[in-house]
Amino acid sequence: MLSTFLSHQWKDFWRSRNKAGSIAANLLLGFFMLYFLAIAVGVGFWMTMIIEKTFPGQNVITVFNGFILYYFLFDLAIRTQMQELPTLSIVPYLHLKIKRKTIVNFLNIKSLFSFFNLLPLFVFIPFSIMKIGTTYGALTALMYVLSILSLVVFNNYLVLYLKRKSINNFSYFISIIGVVTVLAALDYYHIISVRDFSNLIFVNVTKYPFLGLIFTLAAVGIFIINSNYLRANLYTEELSTKDDKKTSTDYPFLNRFGKVGELAALELKLILRHKRSRGSVLMGFAFLAYGLIFYKGPMIEKNEFGKLLFAALFMTGIAILTYGQFMFAWQSTHFDGLLVNKIDFKDFIKAKFLLFTISSTIITVLASFYGFMSYKLLLLHAAAYLYNIGFATVIVLYFATMNYKRLDITKSASFNWQGIGATQWILGLPFILIPVFIYMPFGIMNKPFWGLAAIALFGLITLLMRNFWINLLVKKFEKQRYKIAEGFRE
Amino acid sequence: MLEFRQLKKSYGGRTVVDINNLTIRTGETIGLVGNNGAGKTTMFRMLLDLIRPDSGEVLSKDQNVATNDHWKDYTASYLDEGFLIDYLTPEEYFTFIGGLHNLSVADVGDYLKQYEEFFNGEILSRGKYIRDFSKGNQNKVGIAAALMQKPELLVLDEPFANLDPTTQIRLKSLIKSLKASHRLTTLISSHDLNHVTDVCDRIILLEKGLIIKDFHTDENTLKELEAYFSE
Repeated sequence: MLSTFLSHQWKDFWRSRNKAGSIAANLLLGFFMLYFLAIAVGVGFWMTMIIEKTFPGQNVITVFNGFILYYFLFDLAIRTQMQELPTLSIVPYLHLKIKRKTIVNFLNIKSLFSFFNLLPLFVFIPFSIMKIGTTYGALTALMYVLSILSLVVFNNYLVLYLKRKSINNFSYFISIIGVVTVLAALDYYHIISVRDFSNLIFVNVTKYPFLGLIFTLAAVGIFIINSNYLRANLYTEELSTKDDKKTSTDYPFLNRFGKVGELAALELKLILRHKRSRGSVLMGFAFLAYGLIFYKGPMIEKNEFGKLLFAALFMTGIAILTYGQFMFAWQSTHFDGLLVNKIDFKDFIKAKFLLFTISSTIITVLASFYGFMSYKLLLLHAAAYLYNIGFATVIVLYFATMNYKRLDITKSASFNWQGIGATQWILGLPFILIPVFIYMPFGIMNKPFWGLAAIALFGLITLLMRNFWINLLVKKFEKQRYKIAEGFRE
Repeated sequence: MLEFRQLKKSYGGRTVVDINNLTIRTGETIGLVGNNGAGKTTMFRMLLDLIRPDSGEVLSKDQNVATNDHWKDYTASYLDEGFLIDYLTPEEYFTFIGGLHNLSVADVGDYLKQYEEFFNGEILSRGKYIRDFSKGNQNKVGIAAALMQKPELLVLDEPFANLDPTTQIRLKSLIKSLKASHRLTTLISSHDLNHVTDVCDRIILLEKGLIIKDFHTDENTLKELEAYFSE
């Protein structure tokens, strides 16, 4: 029976509607995974060397021991966001003559086929065998491997169980991330050390190898809890949505914009009430950290804005880019409804501009904390901001009129390739190249501030031309709308 | 009110709609019948300017629906759930649609009061988004939102499907009374011959995109249609 299920899944993948797209996307995803796996293998085999380099003078095994639980703590946090529940696929089987146990087993086994379960094996097992094995003997090494495997299984089913119990519960996700962050912070400031705790446990495993069975017991425990819960609650409505009372909301702030504001409010509700769009918004805030990686003191010192431009554009424009790349497709389920109703397409396009402007403004204001690094970054952000609201919005909306792919917005955003077509790939090019080209001559002539001014001026001019763009986009939209509507109907 | 001229649409070489000439007068209630694939929904979609015809045109009050938007002022429609904004609560949806026709929140509230009976306590203040409703109740929301726009032309695709018997009967009497009081022109497609012959005064029978029969209803209509479809 299980093999039948698996073969159905296989067919489901190969026969899915946007097959070509999903294969290409999966290939790319495959490359990413291979890349991470390669890193994991590298880290695994050269662990000793890496630890010696990063923590010179410390005992290698102590550092390794401390790292184990720390890793699985973060693993838990990432899984809560990224790991998908394998549920909906079972709907067609529930009413058939198939034992519940079989279905539950299928769900349990299917969930093991996850990238998150593979990664830690490569990171931890080589060291456990090579270093621990040679230091403490085969039994200890075996128990280490067993502990790691058990922790993987434990995390896997714990996340599934928690997710099943509180599906769609945003606060739950935030609280897990919060707990992990707090623990990491406590560890960082040496208040409560996760690493010491982890080390303590694994030191004891080296002394009494069978202590490692605790992890196995925990894993078996959560597995049984999860299976029992599943078996008792194998109802799709309970597995897929937890209903709390929904209320009507109103955004008085947007009302001042009249019809355009109404449409913007409509879209704001769309963003807040769907998993995928919420994910995009969260991503936008996460990108605020982008500057921490890319803004380097010496570059700022030497006014090398060309190298910083990329990060600044992405940070201030991320909302435009991540939300805008699927523009119109967000509304694919009710696109027909929008077309037949008395909605002026001009207002429709204007509402998009309004949302983009508001979101970009919020992000730019938040990003101004980089001003503490250098006032120059504020100038950089201002230029990028003007470009983003002036012209990036136009690019995004222009490409949107050529996007005919229906989007399933009820699924989470991370590693979700549904609805991705050529437009999303090309979109980034003009977005990033135009400001770079504007800046380049000034950069070469060593007039960096003039370069920023040029970008800002370009942004400002395009912003002032907004009515012209709106008319242009409306015309294009008028022409394309049949095709868009047809594509969205599938 | 409506004129279909040489309207043609085909997909992959197969003709889906081929209507040579069809005129619909104000105040008529038209029932569109035909088996699956007869082209009913495609015809509606072209009437609502959702699909571009291969050739020909649809005139609404003598204006081509594809070239201007005036028809939206007096036309209301509900074809399928794709017309609903499903992440809104019904109240939000009604307010939004009402807003498009310059109705205030209070106007919409007043309007919805008349429909308490129609909704049967299933729709309003249930604390659910439209997507969480059953198909029948989604239908009710769509139809009520269409009627709220005080249309002169109403287009409904299989409105009786998924509705409970009480609501089916209420919908029929609603259409009849609007026809009498406001000279409402209605286009309904349905697989339910009983309902169609009951509520419509003119029946158009489509087959593979062609109009096979076009006649006014009388006491023999139901029998005729049944005879045709059982062949």
